[in-house]
Amino acid sequence: MDSQIHKIHQQLVNKNITCTALVQERLDALKQNTNNTVNSLLDTSALDLAAKVDAKIANGETIGLLEGIPFGIKDVYMVQGTLTTASSDLLKNYKAAYTATAIQKLLDAGAIPLVKENCDSFGHGSSSENTIFGAVKNAINPDLVGGGSSGGSAVNVAKDYTVFSIGGDTGGSVRQPAGYNNVYGLKPTYGRISRYGLMAYASSTDCVGPIAKSIEDIRIVLNVMSGKDGKDQTTYASAEISQDAISTSESIKTVGYFKNFIETDAIDGQVKSDFLAAIEKIKAKGIQVKALDFFESETLVSTYYTLAMAETASNLSRLDGTNYGNRIEGHNLIDSYAVTRSENFSEETKRRIVGGNQVLSQGFSDEIYLKGLNLRDQISENFEKDFKEVDIIISPVTPSTPPKIGDSLKDPLAMYLSDAYTVGFSLGQLPTLTVPQGTATGLQITAAKNNDELVLKFANFLKDTI
Amino acid sequence: MSKIMTVDVLSSIKGAQPSEAVNKLFEVIKNANTTNNNAFNKNHDNAVSLDTLRDDVVMDSSQIEKQIIIENFPKEKNGYLVVSKVIEE
Repeated sequence: MDSQIHKIHQQLVNKNITCTALVQERLDALKQNTNNTVNSLLDTSALDLAAKVDAKIANGETIGLLEGIPFGIKDVYMVQGTLTTASSDLLKNYKAAYTATAIQKLLDAGAIPLVKENCDSFGHGSSSENTIFGAVKNAINPDLVGGGSSGGSAVNVAKDYTVFSIGGDTGGSVRQPAGYNNVYGLKPTYGRISRYGLMAYASSTDCVGPIAKSIEDIRIVLNVMSGKDGKDQTTYASAEISQDAISTSESIKTVGYFKNFIETDAIDGQVKSDFLAAIEKIKAKGIQVKALDFFESETLVSTYYTLAMAETASNLSRLDGTNYGNRIEGHNLIDSYAVTRSENFSEETKRRIVGGNQVLSQGFSDEIYLKGLNLRDQISENFEKDFKEVDIIISPVTPSTPPKIGDSLKDPLAMYLSDAYTVGFSLGQLPTLTVPQGTATGLQITAAKNNDELVLKFANFLKDTI
Repeated sequence: MSKIMTVDVLSSIKGAQPSEAVNKLFEVIKNANTTNNNAFNKNHDNAVSLDTLRDDVVMDSSQIEKQIIIENFPKEKNGYLVVSKVIEE
């Protein structure tokens, strides 16, 4: 079984390595890395925690599976006492006063956080270039973008700087960088993991998502972070997914894919032929494959961005420099708000806030925002209908390979459209996993709501099939 | 009394203008076909039922939490936290 977590756990238990040496080695690698993945290192606390794990092992005490496992955290999660910048000028000196529920659960399990990871500011971007810490460079080819918005997290996992990282996925921000860097990245069902302590971008699709090098590691981390949380009332109780439950795929009989994702000029020729070849291999295993109708990519992207911008305009209105953040004094309170926000937000963040306020304002809300909500309902209904016919939907992660650093900033519309294959599943709040197989940027596996287990099960099947 | 507010005022961002790229997305929505169904949020209704509402509880922040909140405050003078000058319009 491919699992970094199990492997390192055994090495620690067998005393082949010490936790301190492990943590120090990863911290050194992070410090020296030239991919711009690090916003801040948590070196002192990580080494303290590692020493405690070593002491436990030396005393002959049993350690848990995640105890001593080094991991990374996208810099949009609150971790008490750490700088939590959202890769923005506004919060570049902001210290989190409390810890996010998902992260606290990992800390309680003994995992050791090493790094707050670079990302697009407030999650606004698909390339991790909208950041004050320098564009994240792709793990495979540093001339290309690391993907986004959780680019630093995906690159750290791909480079083995962290064993797993916790990203955030609103419209594809875990799945797309996972695909760009050839690792696994899961967006669970909306509500499976608490969002408490994750800086809000678009609250109705924001999801906490693990990035790792194996399905087993995704499973372990997902189980630890899942569960109902009184601090996020959209959470629900979910059953633990066992290793056995996802080891066989007998229950999966029918797989679907969206015709219009493939029959379009927007898809790269190689991605298309690789995807179709993957479909053939699935068919050869006796699984029925159905071509499904779906909404046009432009409609999906426009619906997602309309709603996400409206939500982010509202969520980010709290960032005015009054109680925290890099306040710049103006003539009076209102002027201080405006100067602070104008000077401290990235161009992309400002574009989204303005777009959101446009659609929420009187005269526009009916013909754009409310219509967007209506389209979202239709998209969700479409998914419900599809999952009566198929068990799993597979799709490419992106229409093309990662762009060169600098290209996405020149053409925001092209960047929005590159999210065509990920945003629909966000609107549907469906569990979707990127696997590093099938096309140059991987494949997405989606199941019906709350069926995260089936997604992991099919991923195991694909691993042996293509 | 209604007062027209421009997006720069609504957004508290100086000189902000609607962007061409974003307007193109909105055009797609304007031209899309929608159903007459006005029951929004049917399939993504995340509201909590009345039975499962959590109780109101007052939770005191820990000392370290209070300390960090004070540290994060942008301006301090003679032991007081200072806000920008407020004017009545």
